[in-house]
Amino acid sequence: MIGLEHYLVLAAILFSLAVAGIFLNRKNVIVLLMCIELMLLAVNFNFVAFSRFLGNLDGQVFVFFILTVAAAEAAIGLAILVVLFRNRRSIDVDELDVLKG
Amino acid sequence: MIEAGIFYLFATVLVGAAVGVISSRNPVHAALFLVLAFVTSAVLWILLEAEFLGIVLVLVYVGAVMVLFLFVVMMLNVNIEKMRVGFTRYAPLGIIVALAVAAEIGYVIWTRRGQLPEKQPLPADNYSNTEALGAVLYTDYVYAFELAAIILLVAIVAAIALTMRQRAGVKAQDISAQVATRRQDRVRLVSMDSEPRQ
Amino acid sequence: MNFDLTHVWPEIFVATMACIVLVADLYTSRRDVAYWLSLLTIVGAAALTLALPAGGRELTLTDTYIAEPLTDVLKMVAYGVVALVFLYSRDYLRERDLLKGEYFVLGLFGLLGIMVMISAHHFLTLYLGLELLSLSLYAMVAFDRDSSICAESAMKYFVLGAIASGTLLFGMSLVYGVTGSLAINEVAAGVVAAGSTDIMLLIALAFMLVGVMFKLGAVPFHMWLPDVYHGAPTSTTLYIGTASKIASFALFVRAIGEAFGGLESDWRDMLIVLAVLSLGIGNIVAIAQTNLKRMLAYSTISHVGFILLGFIAADGQGYQAALFYTITYVLMAAGAFGMIILLSRAGFEADELADFKGLNQYSPWFALIMLLLMFSMAGVPPLIGFYAKLAVLAAVVEAGLTWLAIVAVVFSVIGAFYYLRVIKLMYFDAPEGDTRIDAGVGMRVVLSANGLAMLALGIFPGALLALCGTVIPLALR
Repeated sequence: MIGLEHYLVLAAILFSLAVAGIFLNRKNVIVLLMCIELMLLAVNFNFVAFSRFLGNLDGQVFVFFILTVAAAEAAIGLAILVVLFRNRRSIDVDELDVLKG
Repeated sequence: MIEAGIFYLFATVLVGAAVGVISSRNPVHAALFLVLAFVTSAVLWILLEAEFLGIVLVLVYVGAVMVLFLFVVMMLNVNIEKMRVGFTRYAPLGIIVALAVAAEIGYVIWTRRGQLPEKQPLPADNYSNTEALGAVLYTDYVYAFELAAIILLVAIVAAIALTMRQRAGVKAQDISAQVATRRQDRVRLVSMDSEPRQ
Repeated sequence: MNFDLTHVWPEIFVATMACIVLVADLYTSRRDVAYWLSLLTIVGAAALTLALPAGGRELTLTDTYIAEPLTDVLKMVAYGVVALVFLYSRDYLRERDLLKGEYFVLGLFGLLGIMVMISAHHFLTLYLGLELLSLSLYAMVAFDRDSSICAESAMKYFVLGAIASGTLLFGMSLVYGVTGSLAINEVAAGVVAAGSTDIMLLIALAFMLVGVMFKLGAVPFHMWLPDVYHGAPTSTTLYIGTASKIASFALFVRAIGEAFGGLESDWRDMLIVLAVLSLGIGNIVAIAQTNLKRMLAYSTISHVGFILLGFIAADGQGYQAALFYTITYVLMAAGAFGMIILLSRAGFEADELADFKGLNQYSPWFALIMLLLMFSMAGVPPLIGFYAKLAVLAAVVEAGLTWLAIVAVVFSVIGAFYYLRVIKLMYFDAPEGDTRIDAGVGMRVVLSANGLAMLALGIFPGALLALCGTVIPLALR
């Protein structure tokens, strides 16, 4: 029998993979954006699973809005990426060194 | 039993796809792995009887957002060879942080096993997930719904303001200007003294 | 279900007007139209908020929206600050050929996001308000499309902001799992019922705290702040440095202060560490900066440390001090970034410390204004910044953390050094290069008023402090 804990563990694995991906792909902005999508997917998994197991729709409504916002976020993120690429001809983070943290 | 089979099959594919996203050197491969991750997630959500969100995930996410990602990857024509140089010096740190996060959450879930709620029965035999969501979306959550609409508007305004360019010096035809032109705009009569014959 | 729209009219008005500005801007080539309409929108929203004040705590829109005296005060401050930002920005944008209607539209939508966050009584509306603000800001940072430094800082801001949102959401999802609800009052009740022995709730708290601290810019989640302040157009830096701090205050109060009121003793310890680190790193690293925008970014981090001190006290007096400090800081920062805009002109940014050399020789009046602003930030009496620090320290001592108050004082003495360095440059060094000030009359008058307000509020701090005290809701006392 698949219980809530199975889904939660799966979401936790996805979340930590996304975190690892953010560290691993610091060189490549576009993969970084994909890791952020993965992170949101993990969050959505948690919400959907809790919603189903608590018998309460609020979590699914929240996922609906996260999907909407993530689409808007991806559009703006990619727009900034295009602007960056036009200025730099590169999206390699190693070359993003004018501003040093 | 069959539920467990489906869960483990698709969960394995999902984790594999996620590993593919973060380890691919080629952004196109990463994007396609992400598509795989979304599709398997949709299957798992449908297994959780969240049918509407499962379908939306495929339609909106795979259909629109991931296509946008692929489109940008192709448009930017990123130098893939350069991306193949291997992981950064942060790789060990990343793996440690990820393991810590996974262990932490895993421990929490472990301590709560048995206390977690059981799956609730669906309210009725002819229960429709889509209908139930629609019923709250336009009533209880109408404020959030309007805000989401505004967020999408902001995304449109921002994306256009950032990327649309009007290039200077484009030789485009302006028909209304051509039609509306008058003789005195084009021809100028200049009175000059006639020059003496050399 | 309750759909009483009485208190929602300011939000509806701002949303409608932002759309009108967007369309009106299409049909005119005069860019000032968008500017004036935006200012008109803010005035109208302020009038609506004043005309429809909340008596007590009133929930509406099926309990996703809250109106109370605190929300009214925060909204009025947000209107004032965004209006200042627009006033200061116009000339700056025009000189850089960035004066476009979209900039003000995004600014108005950002203001709407701040208002939504201030009035959020549900994790969903809080999140949507946060994203509305953040998405507008990402675009405003990248607005100078031909500048590669703008695009770079926008990308950093975007990636770190999105990670912060993801972390915050992960925390929210766990809270939902434990308490079974997302409405803030129900979450608060669920947190009290679960108590601090529930490990999942503690993990959720940790994730949410990380997300909120990212947005506030507390150490060690501050990496984005200096780069974004430095790289963004100064008008956008002004927006991020002032208006979005009010949103961060609201975010903390709703997501942690109110929802996790039952776990106060747990998050207090985490905040003490963050506050000490912020005070230390902010003040010490600021000394090494040569760029004024970066210096002000690190100074922001140290001021965030002070705001956190108010939260650590976590009682009526602590929140009062934190609110008072936030309002004060926002006014000081508006003035300081306004000075950078004042001295900048087409092709010249005036964001290096050296650009302020000898200001007293060619503009004694604005040197005096900058002196007031810097002294206020350093916390020199009788300016308002002194009373803000005093209120926070009193609250911390009252909460029995005298050592923390001493640490804060030591670091602010260290911090005074770099504010004094600016004053030294203005008064004792000779000017270099061009010494014109191109700013228009309006900007000069408003900036002067902004600087003098530091002195006026410093002489009469009682009214504002008392106002901050009366609006803190019972749930936080």
